[in-house]
Amino acid sequence: MNTRLRTTCLILSLGTCLAWALTIVPAWAEEPAEQDQTTTNGSTIAADDEGLTTDEADRADIERLLEAIDVGPYQVPELTLKKDHNYAQSAVDVEPFRHVTPYKEHFLEQLEYTGPGRSIPEPDHVDTVKIGFIGPIMGTVSVATGGKSHEESLGIPMLRGAQLAIEDANERGGYTDRDIPFELVVSNDNGLWGASGNEIVKMAYRDRVWAILGTIDGANSHIAIRVALKAEIPMMNTGDTDPTFIETNIQWVFRCIGDDRQMGYLLVDYLYRKRGFTRVGIMRASNRYGRFGVREIRDGSRRLGHPIILEMAYQVGAEDYSLQLQRLRDSNVEAVVHWGDAEDGAHILNQMRAMGMDQPYFACDRCASDEFIEIAGTNAEGVICGYPWNPQSGDADFEAFRATYEQRYGIEPTTYAAHAYDGMNMLIWAIQTAGLNRAKIRDVLAHREKPFKGVTGEIPLSACLDDLGEVFLARCEGGEWKYYSREDWDIPQGTIAPRDRVSRKTASD
Amino acid sequence: MASSAYCRRLEAVLFAGLLLAATPAARGSEKSEKVAAGDSPAQSVPDKQKQIATEASNMPFVYTKWEQFTTKDGLPNDHIFAVKVFGDYVWVGTEDGLARLNKKTREIKCWREEDGLPWRVVGAIDVHPKTDEVWLGLFGGGLARFSGGRFDHWHQLNSGLVNDVVYGVAIEHDNVWAATTAGASRYNTVTGEWSIFTEKNAPMEEIWNYGVCYADGLVYLGVWGSGVLEYNVERGTWKDYLDPDGEMEIDLYRDDGIMHVITTGVSYVDQTLWAASYFGVGRYDGRHWRCFFAHESGLPSDFTNAVKGRSAHEAWFATDKGLGVLADFGTDTWVTYTSDHDAHKGKAVVQRGEKIIAEFETMLNLPHNYVLWVEFDGDDAWIGTSKGLGHAIGECYFPRLRNEKQIAQAIRDAIIFRDATLHRDATVREPVANAEMQNSE
Repeated sequence: MNTRLRTTCLILSLGTCLAWALTIVPAWAEEPAEQDQTTTNGSTIAADDEGLTTDEADRADIERLLEAIDVGPYQVPELTLKKDHNYAQSAVDVEPFRHVTPYKEHFLEQLEYTGPGRSIPEPDHVDTVKIGFIGPIMGTVSVATGGKSHEESLGIPMLRGAQLAIEDANERGGYTDRDIPFELVVSNDNGLWGASGNEIVKMAYRDRVWAILGTIDGANSHIAIRVALKAEIPMMNTGDTDPTFIETNIQWVFRCIGDDRQMGYLLVDYLYRKRGFTRVGIMRASNRYGRFGVREIRDGSRRLGHPIILEMAYQVGAEDYSLQLQRLRDSNVEAVVHWGDAEDGAHILNQMRAMGMDQPYFACDRCASDEFIEIAGTNAEGVICGYPWNPQSGDADFEAFRATYEQRYGIEPTTYAAHAYDGMNMLIWAIQTAGLNRAKIRDVLAHREKPFKGVTGEIPLSACLDDLGEVFLARCEGGEWKYYSREDWDIPQGTIAPRDRVSRKTASD
Repeated sequence: MASSAYCRRLEAVLFAGLLLAATPAARGSEKSEKVAAGDSPAQSVPDKQKQIATEASNMPFVYTKWEQFTTKDGLPNDHIFAVKVFGDYVWVGTEDGLARLNKKTREIKCWREEDGLPWRVVGAIDVHPKTDEVWLGLFGGGLARFSGGRFDHWHQLNSGLVNDVVYGVAIEHDNVWAATTAGASRYNTVTGEWSIFTEKNAPMEEIWNYGVCYADGLVYLGVWGSGVLEYNVERGTWKDYLDPDGEMEIDLYRDDGIMHVITTGVSYVDQTLWAASYFGVGRYDGRHWRCFFAHESGLPSDFTNAVKGRSAHEAWFATDKGLGVLADFGTDTWVTYTSDHDAHKGKAVVQRGEKIIAEFETMLNLPHNYVLWVEFDGDDAWIGTSKGLGHAIGECYFPRLRNEKQIAQAIRDAIIFRDATLHRDATVREPVANAEMQNSE
């Protein structure tokens, strides 16, 4: 057993005691507690023929992983690569070109990291273990997001969630291997398009952070992950729901929040399979978030035989949406799907109702917010949004997090806060487990077999390291958001073919 | 310049390997046997001549002579992002400094931030052929010019450079193009004028530029999320190359267009465009696209960091699992180079499509199999990897496949070499043979 392994085992043992001494301890931050709290099948169920408990088996998995990645600069460890049978759990009838066998399919098999990074020794001296944060936390004029910045209301809770996770970790002793506190290095990405790239470079080379959490805007996210790839640093995304974020084949990138593809599939199923609409229109922001967010709604509608009747774009922060709404009204749409920020979405809804348009209103997760209800008032009643998780699940971890967050910041945690808390805890867990080596931090995150259990629920990572956890619908009822699963509303779904698409024949075979 | 005798002997070594590889067992299997003395069937050479000629006529040039440079040799850092050959110098961009290798004296000179280099990470290099000025794309530090022992620095706050994260640099006439993470910038070194190209004035669906090259009046940009863009310098017009299926998760038809919109590198030579991506590679001849993937070719991996075209027929691809060389496009003939550093040896695999024709053990070739850059230097090539700089020495290099005259001579030499080798009861393993040849030079 190498030093790292011994240390990890020690951490895991200590964790059992420490876990209960704190108000909030994410299950996977302390391995034994994790197993006790999250093993739905019971923690003492034998996991294999050797009679190991699930906890012991998980620990053994981690130990094997750490042994495997303890290699020199020229060796590539033989690690089990994740394989998905279907990309993003897509139903057959919403897959692209489903009547044609494609020549090649991507993202079904996990990519390896084959570089020499695992051999870089842990530094002898560090004052703090730095983890980077990058997000929209300062108001500015941003080309990326379509003019005046508008995402600070999302980014600041994200920062708070990350800070809380760091504080929790430091209360538990920081980087326990060497008794060194964690430090959050905070950057703003809300500048001119591309500012995120400069910030990540600075964090990677100047600040020498070990991993980075952040970005919400899709444009900044793509810029950031390209830098992460070249600088070879793990990047955890907790707030960008752009499906293309993960469709880039970068081994260093993780996402712990359900994306617009998953929420789009659920909305499409609800619109057509459950409600039976046939004429749906789209109103979206004229920026990257709006453009890419509605892709699965648009494509899914067409693939289910109900092409979107009309798609209208508007300038972010506009005051008058009458032109777009008139066009939608003239198109006789039965329902309107909005993709953009809460403020715009609420104003659009109000103007719709003022024009006498009473079509049901659907929207993206950004609209499932207090801000939306505040602006839309009673018009918000019955509005349905996609949502990446269920804040009303009654999960004990989340309730504890909610209480601590409210005590610390005086307000309810948003989805951005909760996912940032989870994402940061995933990074902290990886650092505690792998030590101060970026490639190994990546490895333990990427090759951990068991899903992470966070305050937002289970976080199973796909072959392309995306969150494949369940997504929900939020409906405004009595001035509050209520959350429903596919099962709650008995929403039909197309067949997800249980086929081995990694090794199946494609047109190229 | 390599001597004729040396070249003949080198060929003899390779052909002797073919003699041994051309056994019934080897021919009957999809993968050939490894070329090694222990496998010798000792069959009659004359009986095999026809077959060998057939095999040999299909053989590309294989680089068997290599050398490596690392920090031990004086490089400032082993993580090599860019290489540019100009005259007697090889300019090397690393994660922590710029280096200049003098090919004649073997001296390596380095510049770090404390020496005036504006930023430590040098991600791209080009040299202005008119002025010999060295232009550096600094990864997170903007654009720099090294001239007269001095660095001049352009960045977002003092120039028209659209972003400081520069991935590619190319010289076009008096212009310097910079491919940045937020668009492309063009700087006229004579007038001082800057031009910026983004989604507002170019067909960039996304603006995340990755690579840039110039040749024959055309500037090509490899754009992450926007395929390849072609800029006609004379006309000032743009043309885009996008994946026709429009989907990220599939390639519907192989050769219907570029393989993917997330492109990482471009190279234009002999009116042929070569493109790289993390999803395979492609070639465009002005009319047709032909794409290649790892499962059906000698491309070591679909994850391709960079590409350099040598001609319309030959291109080298820097992947995360080795170096893939499409040696002859017309016959789909590849040579794949990988190294086993722990065993201090390398391997060159010759493939036609997905079928392996021959495998050669070589001396240590790539410094590391994670390859980041390729640069040609006459018949030689320089390879940037994540753990050092490699130098492939192309003595006796020939393009595409061997011609008949070369084959006839090579077979005659091979017979002599093989007989002599077998009589000595020695191996014909390439590292040994190469070492002998190097010594005999």
